[in-house]
Amino acid sequence: MRSLATVNIGTTTQVVDVSGDDNTSLRLLEMGLTPGVEVTIVGAAPLGDPVELELRGYRLSIRRNEAARVVVAT
Amino acid sequence: MSSTKARNATGQQSLETDMKLTVALLGNPNTGKSTLFSAIAGIPTRIGNYPGVTVEEKVGTFLHRGHTIELIDLPGAYSLNAKSPDEQVAVDVLCGNITSVTQPDCIVVVVDATNLSRNLYLVSQALAVGRPVLVALTLCDVAESKGIHIDRKKLSEVLGCPVLRLVAPRRDGIDQLADALIESSDWSGQVVPKALNTYLSQSAESDRPVAAADAIARYSWIDDITKDVLSFSTKHSRSLGERIDAVLTHRILGTVVFGMTMLSIFSSIFWLATPLMDLVSGGVELLAAWAELVIPDGILQSLVINGIIAGVGGVVIFLPQIAILFLFVAVLEGCGYLARAAFLMDRLLVGVGLSGKSFIPLLSSFACAIPGIMAARTIENRRDRLLTILVAPLMSCSARLPVYLLLCSAFVPNVAVGNTWFRLPAVVLASMYLIGILVAAIVAFVLSRTIFRGPPQPFVLELPSWRWPQPAVVGERVREAAVSFLKNAGTLILAVSIVVWALGSFPKPVIQAGVDPVSAEQQGEALRQSFLGRAGRFIEPAVKPLGWDWRIGCAAVASFPAREVVLGVLGVIYNLGDVDPGEEEGAGMLIRQLRSATWDGTDRKVFTLPVALSIMVFFALCAQCASTLVIIGKETASWVWPLVSFTYMTALAWIGAFCVFQLGTTLGW
Repeated sequence: MRSLATVNIGTTTQVVDVSGDDNTSLRLLEMGLTPGVEVTIVGAAPLGDPVELELRGYRLSIRRNEAARVVVAT
Repeated sequence: MSSTKARNATGQQSLETDMKLTVALLGNPNTGKSTLFSAIAGIPTRIGNYPGVTVEEKVGTFLHRGHTIELIDLPGAYSLNAKSPDEQVAVDVLCGNITSVTQPDCIVVVVDATNLSRNLYLVSQALAVGRPVLVALTLCDVAESKGIHIDRKKLSEVLGCPVLRLVAPRRDGIDQLADALIESSDWSGQVVPKALNTYLSQSAESDRPVAAADAIARYSWIDDITKDVLSFSTKHSRSLGERIDAVLTHRILGTVVFGMTMLSIFSSIFWLATPLMDLVSGGVELLAAWAELVIPDGILQSLVINGIIAGVGGVVIFLPQIAILFLFVAVLEGCGYLARAAFLMDRLLVGVGLSGKSFIPLLSSFACAIPGIMAARTIENRRDRLLTILVAPLMSCSARLPVYLLLCSAFVPNVAVGNTWFRLPAVVLASMYLIGILVAAIVAFVLSRTIFRGPPQPFVLELPSWRWPQPAVVGERVREAAVSFLKNAGTLILAVSIVVWALGSFPKPVIQAGVDPVSAEQQGEALRQSFLGRAGRFIEPAVKPLGWDWRIGCAAVASFPAREVVLGVLGVIYNLGDVDPGEEEGAGMLIRQLRSATWDGTDRKVFTLPVALSIMVFFALCAQCASTLVIIGKETASWVWPLVSFTYMTALAWIGAFCVFQLGTTLGW
């Protein structure tokens, strides 16, 4: 089980699942981070957090805390 | 709703209910929804790129082929499963839960053509509301230039609703949209597409939480649709926007650009505004001179010149600064930079218990805490939002600037600091801003670890694609800010000016402006005996440790409604009549008067460097702004928070002023 928080910048991977059942996990799903979708880590803010993602043709920024909930393909 | 066809094309519309149609404009943030609203209804609304900027409910009315169409601009929403106050408003309007707003007969979902997949999520939810749905595809020109093609006919078939192409700034497709709205009133209702229903019923068997399974089911349906409907003509190459993004969100370059941007905004607020402020203050002076000619000597003249013109005029001078700040914020918002700023600053703000989303409210608060506190509505999380609202008034707003400027130029020696080219007054001025930021950081840090303690809050922020800010939209933002500022000056500050004038003028003879030394002395005595003077002398024991005499205490109390009032009050108190802080000569005169002021019955000077610093620090940290407290009350829907703000800020201001004065005196400044 690998989380999105551990993926290197510039890497493209595939979402397997989003863990947790609170509003944060739901919002991540609603923003399109659903199982099977391709996601690229485009960059990170100066202090390494949050990270910038590209998915479904748009840019999304989430903290590493949230990225840790996203399980990705190894 | 049944619709009577338009028979009267001459424009004499009847307002019968069957001719009236209420339409809600729903959409994700950053879809150009507000631009579309202006293009259709013509009623201006502010827009931008920072997610959720359309926080106010806006309604516009227009006529189309004999129908009165009422258009409701809903706040930007990603989902109808509301997670923020903004999204809750959207849901409440759609469901008719807000009594003051008519439940919409029809929903227009604004869909960003460059970002179809995620936008269709909201469409899938809107289709289930039960009202006719129309999809308005915006930013089609941008999508086409990116090589994105959408098969509208097919999309319309699978959604079971009309899909219209729009380029709002050029008004392309607006008439077709209005036609479709009128036709929609004949529909019986909206049906959820069969394919979507199949996915949703399958999701019920999933072992995931219901809401999560629902979201995944909707996206499965969307993925099926986009496979059929979306096509790309060119191999997706690195666009200009992506290259800009690579620089602006770069760890080092991005930070450098960010720092430079903020620095240039600040310098221009101060230096670009100066000539304009001179112009305004010249106008105010002319008005005062004219009033002196027209109105006969006496109590009325004193009220108009010393009360109204001095009070309101002294505030109107800040109009250029407010306008310039909002111009920059609107441009940065319009091109998508503000969301990047939140992204860049997030880690730093998290360190003190805030969030990247607090950045915009805090930045706006440097102009004025009121728009800043209102901007905090875009923070979904209640804890982060309250914390931001509580510390926002600590940012040095433009009303404090004249206080700093006057005291710096009057009492801080204009010498170089060490061997650098920095001058001491400029360093002191910058320190006042830093003190505010530092104290805000400490307060946020302490509160977030005590009464606001809780689990870390999520940060999920869209970084909208880069686009040119629209001049009309930027202009509207600036106009709106200027109008609301002037409205404030014309009501609250006007009232306060009159009250302060009255309290300072009664129960003794009326104070006259610009008089010879003898009567100036009489004026001083009159003020001492006035209500204001008595109040000042009453609180003298409390302000003495700060190095203040009763007159400064008086000015501080009288400036409770608004900080900028303090200069006018100091002017009145130190026998000056009206004071004009933006004007060279007037300021020079006030400075001379302040420099020569002595403690009652002694030769000891009132104003020394430690006293000036203590006043500045007090005003940097105090909550002397009634409008801010009112807004805090409104935004938190409670009178507790304004009370908390006032109490903690006044305590901090007193302690800060005390420390600075005692330290300065001890060090013999």
